[in-house]
Amino acid sequence: MNERDEPQNEPATAGRSPEAWRAGLSRFVNVIPHTRELGLEVEEVSPPKVRMRLPWRDELLGDSGRGLVHGGVLTMLLDTVCGSAVLCGLPAPEVCPTLDLRVDHYRPALAGKPIMAEARVLRVTGAMVFTEGTLWQEPGRTIARGIGNFVRLGARNTPPGFAETLFGEAGHA
Amino acid sequence: MPEGFHDVAWLARTRAEGDVAAWLERLPYARHIGVSATPDGAGDGLVFHLEPHEHNVGNILLPALHGGVVAAFMETAGTLDLMLSAREPRLPRIVDFSIDYLRTARVVPTHARCRLLREGRRLANVQVIAWQESEAQPVATARLHLVLGASRKDDA
Repeated sequence: MNERDEPQNEPATAGRSPEAWRAGLSRFVNVIPHTRELGLEVEEVSPPKVRMRLPWRDELLGDSGRGLVHGGVLTMLLDTVCGSAVLCGLPAPEVCPTLDLRVDHYRPALAGKPIMAEARVLRVTGAMVFTEGTLWQEPGRTIARGIGNFVRLGARNTPPGFAETLFGEAGHA
Repeated sequence: MPEGFHDVAWLARTRAEGDVAAWLERLPYARHIGVSATPDGAGDGLVFHLEPHEHNVGNILLPALHGGVVAAFMETAGTLDLMLSAREPRLPRIVDFSIDYLRTARVVPTHARCRLLREGRRLANVQVIAWQESEAQPVATARLHLVLGASRKDDA
């Protein structure tokens, strides 16, 4: 199978505007119970790059005494933002579970401030999607960096109408 | 000063009592996803548990737990296990974390056991294995590197 030479004219994704992508990925993170409950927002999408914002809430605390964010929140956020970048980095959205994820903690994240997350797809092969993501609260001051690899299950294992549902075009399904 | 992880006396006391529940009370996100710990029937360590809360779901089609929630659970387990098994009461700080997903984590109780592979003067390496129905079929393995804080006062 050719790795990069797949048809790019898949109607589900070709020619989508950044705003259509933003709305589609907003729908995606709002269907996921965990991120819906935490109020995760999609700020901007320019395929294959995605930026999100996690508003502050007290459930994100890891050390209530020192006012630090739980490290696991950062891992969860990197998994979500990298996984969302995967959707817009493929010729057509496929279901892609995380194979592995590596997170480097550069500095603690502080309570009371939103956390920004950005991820991009670095490489797509027939079997895999390679991504990287970054988190910050203050511009230029990275909190954590992540490398996430995702497995392509392919069109065969993706539910029919997956892309149409993502873009809110149920009528096409 | 309110008692908490930065309070060395509190840390030493809760550790001596093996009061992991007191630590979990001060970890709101761990509480949010439903982490608990019980003594390991097969050894002298702990087994950690993750509740299959509806808000821990990451894929509604399968359905399956959010991979990031499983990661946060394992990171919490590894950190608390180190706080309990380290030679001294010291507050660890995560340097890096790596997780391999082996199987779909279904929406049922998840368990984890940790191994402290190395405890140096400043750094520790902890391995975490998580499973659901059968420990022989893990859903994920993870490892953490942590910096151990000073035992007397915060070195942040």
